Amino acid sequence: MAHAIETHGLTRKFDGRVAVDGLSLTIEAGTVFGFLGPNGAGKTTTVRMLAALIAPTDGDAVVAGHALGVDDTALRRSVGILTEQPGLYDRLSARQNLRYFARLYDLEPARADAQVERYLHLLELWDRRDEPVGTFSKGMRQKLAIARALLHEPTVVFLDEPTAALDPEAARTVREFVKGLKAEGRTIFLTTHNLPEADELCDSIGIFQRRLLRMGSPRELRAGLFGAGTIVRVVGDAARYVAVVRSLPFVREAHAEGETLTVQLDDPDSRNPDIVDALRAAGAPIRYVERLQHSLEDVYLRLVGGHA
Amino acid sequence: MKKALIVLEKEWLELRLQRGLLLATLFLPPVMTVFAVVGFFAVGKLSGPIPQGGPLPPEFVSLAPLEVAQAIVGRQFSILFLLLPIFIPSVLASYAIVGEKRERTLEPVLATPIRTWELLLGKILAALIPALAITIASATVFVVGILAFAVTDRVREVIVTPGWILAVLVDTPLLALIGVALIVVLSSRVNDPRTAQQFSAVLVVPVIALLFGQLAGVIVLGPGLALGIGVVLAIVAAGAVWAATRLFQREVILTRWR
Repeated sequence: MAHAIETHGLTRKFDGRVAVDGLSLTIEAGTVFGFLGPNGAGKTTTVRMLAALIAPTDGDAVVAGHALGVDDTALRRSVGILTEQPGLYDRLSARQNLRYFARLYDLEPARADAQVERYLHLLELWDRRDEPVGTFSKGMRQKLAIARALLHEPTVVFLDEPTAALDPEAARTVREFVKGLKAEGRTIFLTTHNLPEADELCDSIGIFQRRLLRMGSPRELRAGLFGAGTIVRVVGDAARYVAVVRSLPFVREAHAEGETLTVQLDDPDSRNPDIVDALRAAGAPIRYVERLQHSLEDVYLRLVGGHA
Repeated sequence: MKKALIVLEKEWLELRLQRGLLLATLFLPPVMTVFAVVGFFAVGKLSGPIPQGGPLPPEFVSLAPLEVAQAIVGRQFSILFLLLPIFIPSVLASYAIVGEKRERTLEPVLATPIRTWELLLGKILAALIPALAITIASATVFVVGILAFAVTDRVREVIVTPGWILAVLVDTPLLALIGVALIVVLSSRVNDPRTAQQFSAVLVVPVIALLFGQLAGVIVLGPGLALGIGVVLAIVAAGAVWAATRLFQREVILTRWR
């Protein structure tokens, strides 16, 4: 299976209001895809459609090899979903919660018990296995909900805000776990507002606000939106060297602010030595040279801000 | 069907862990039955003049005052066994469905390969089976108490009638089913199990009307009437279950339930 998820013009309307508008995307198997967008952008609706919880108004999709609307029961058996709310039974123990879901995912009792034990160990909940979930911290509940999504070993996993409201330690545990899932070859569809987290985990990212605004790897998104560039810090006023840099044929734009010279060009990796040579020839005392780095947040805010 | 049983098993596990709910529902029928049998027995032991007044059902006219007193007590308590199967499953279902909606546990369940009819069936059976089992067991104890402590055979005959037995066995399960279906319908609009229970309590009105109609001699609950009521209830139950099934779909639950 080359593509874990493929959608064409996926659309969902609620009483005439368009929540998801013609979403077309392809997600490679074994990758982590970040689905970013503001609240109310339609992310949860998209996840619900792809997990065969609600039907699209228009368009089609293939998820984990199953076409939406053909055999949705089989599709649900092939995917795991961490919903926005953990949705656990507080009176039941961690083990009872997981066993219930393992059985609903068609695992035979012996295998269900084995899987429950495996994931309780993996997510460090084994010692609390027989305690009511109502006594668990937010982080433990989230980990248990993640375990629940994986009991049946799905190939595609939807994680809706997996680290939301978790303390840094719990969030880190979850992130490491997501990396482990990717290493096992699973495809992760990650919805998050945590942009550094998306930057760290995702192979590709889709920025979404009712429709897909942009998609690519984090690096492609940065380059596509802001271009590549180099920052040169000099001793003294950098404005004196702007003309020198601008005269270089491969430089697209250069400007100075205090001691910082920002240079935009297509291929900094190979052209930086030429910039340094030109500046040294002009007598510029260079402190250091670094890559112009825009954060994913810059990309996100420019795209989403432009469509708000 | 297998998944409906998995749901049923989970519901009962949760019920066992809710002591308050368990006490308020499943222990109520045995307690009331004991109370009814003791009351019936005590009235049979009355001595001295028995006050009389008000119109009596036609079948009570030929009874002696002590027999009338026992028959009235017995018949009033016998109505309990028509009310309990409405009350208990409505309470259980309201916690099983509205409670699950409130706790937001339905979506992860709907994300599994379960079919919505299996989930609904599991929840309906989890509410109906214990309620009907405990009610029928209590009604059996009540009948044994009536047979044992009635002052005459004539008292037994006016309380434990074929109409009442048919009503307990046929009409009340249907009323209970209507009650549970009504809870499902209400679940799409309310977020508090108690609110759903209050709405579904409207179902006791026809049973209360039956009680007063009988005591006033206006209605005689014979086998024909019990079966006739059963047919009407079966039609209403079919409609209620259809409406519940329409509302208990993934799409509707996730997008329309508020």
